[in-house]
Amino acid sequence: MNNGIGRYVCQLQRITLSFCKSHADSRGMRDFIENHLLDFTKANPGVVVYLKPRRHRKPRIMAQYLNGYTESVPLPNHRADEICKWVDLMKTRSGVKVVRLRKMWHTDNPSIQGLWHPFLNKDTSLNIKTFPDKEHYKFEQNEKSATDSLLEKMKTVKLSSEID
Amino acid sequence: MAHNRVLQWSTMARTWWLFDAQHQCAFRSASMLIKYLQGKHKPIYHPLSDVGDHVVVINTADVAMREDYWRKFKYFHHTRYPGGFSVTSAWRLHELDPTKVLHKAIYSRLPGNLLRPNMMRRLHLYPNENVPTEILANVSDQIQQIQPIPKRLDQYTEEELASFPKVFDWPEDHVRDPGQTKRKR
Repeated sequence: MNNGIGRYVCQLQRITLSFCKSHADSRGMRDFIENHLLDFTKANPGVVVYLKPRRHRKPRIMAQYLNGYTESVPLPNHRADEICKWVDLMKTRSGVKVVRLRKMWHTDNPSIQGLWHPFLNKDTSLNIKTFPDKEHYKFEQNEKSATDSLLEKMKTVKLSSEID
Repeated sequence: MAHNRVLQWSTMARTWWLFDAQHQCAFRSASMLIKYLQGKHKPIYHPLSDVGDHVVVINTADVAMREDYWRKFKYFHHTRYPGGFSVTSAWRLHELDPTKVLHKAIYSRLPGNLLRPNMMRRLHLYPNENVPTEILANVSDQIQQIQPIPKRLDQYTEEELASFPKVFDWPEDHVRDPGQTKRKR
């Protein structure tokens, strides 16, 4: 179940086989079209197959995927069974471009506590809060200001004067 | 495992923060906000990966500066033509565009690499509290303010003012208004 979360969806949408009708380097591609192509189309009704004969051009396959990526593979002087393997590879790919991984990341002990995400250990009251919130994000003052301490002192003075 | 894939998406997801710049020092809040724009508050931070968050700043028209920095702090510009040099005071720039002071403060504090333009695009500055609803709908958390908002004289009630402790009363003929000092441009 690597592809998608639920059922399998073939990511290959269209495949174009371009070849030359007379050139020798298209021989394998012509063999593939004669002998194996109908089996492929019957097995994969969801994939659109185009045949594109072009004079004196080298054979190649163009695969277009659901995510919009197009992969082109030139296959001159390849045998039909090799082309079968290439077409199968194009069919089973996810459509993500093959890029060079600069660093190898691997662990035999994957994290037990799970991956971090932005809402980890966040207060659940945030879910129903409306922003901007004027009350709860003010600067927290640990020390009393001079005004506050003066007012407090005056209170004690007033109280003591009342007692007297 | 399909569940793991969804967890990975949420790990790399960008969240939106809100900051109320009401009476907050423009320079100190800029130094604090670049942490969120760069994603340095996340445990997955790496300088090569673009993991910064969006920051929405409201009330930028009411940012504060210490001492008389509104008058003293200058913005320099040269058009590279002869005589193209110009100096603008902070208060003048703030008059022209009330979001510009914070914008420039944050821009100058971000690292000067190729990620900077994209990080600046994730900064949304608004002079008051009128933020488009589609922007405000994304906000999931707020950033705490960095300095207390002082209470103005007109925010005290008359009772509080009357009962405020004082050592003596001013005589009736005492002139308490020093008059308008000459404004330096």
